[in-house]
Amino acid sequence: MATSIALSNPVVTVNSVDLTDQTTAAVFTQRYDQLEKTAFGTGSRIYTSGLGNHELTLTLYMSYAANETYATLKDLVGTETTVVVKPAAGSESATNPGFTLTGAYLTELPVINMTLGELATCDITFVGGVYSVDTTA
Amino acid sequence: MAYEIVSARIGTPGAPYVVRPGINVEALLAAGFIKVSTPKPAKNAKTKTDTNEKE
Repeated sequence: MATSIALSNPVVTVNSVDLTDQTTAAVFTQRYDQLEKTAFGTGSRIYTSGLGNHELTLTLYMSYAANETYATLKDLVGTETTVVVKPAAGSESATNPGFTLTGAYLTELPVINMTLGELATCDITFVGGVYSVDTTA
Repeated sequence: MAYEIVSARIGTPGAPYVVRPGINVEALLAAGFIKVSTPKPAKNAKTKTDTNEKE
């Protein structure tokens, strides 16, 4: 059975604000620093995990209207917040986990990214924070 | 401090907003997604007056 989803429809929440209808792409990466622990007598390099260094990258339509993209993000630049992405609408569950970064840092916001004849979009990246997965409603 | 939801992007407008860990409340207030809720003044206690005087 196919395990990929052709029509992705995740729910994206930034600082409690539902930006699902402005989002066109989301990449949530769980990552830990790679610390080498290879020692003499070992035939291959071996590693252990270090600090968590997670990341969420979103592509959003840039709307400057009230309660839309710019209003949500403008005061978050240079601060920490909580972001949540889950694969589908509805309550969190084992099959619809809410991937969460608590205390994620937004480094920058491209306030203008416009091309003639195209809708304005922006790519933003939240880095750091505590990674958790919510599987309970 | 208590907050009230203003924007439907947060939840049901008029409902209390519960601050979760890591949420930047100042940013939500600045953008008008929520507002500080002002508690309604407590009603005075009703005191019954017995108007049914016995003769």
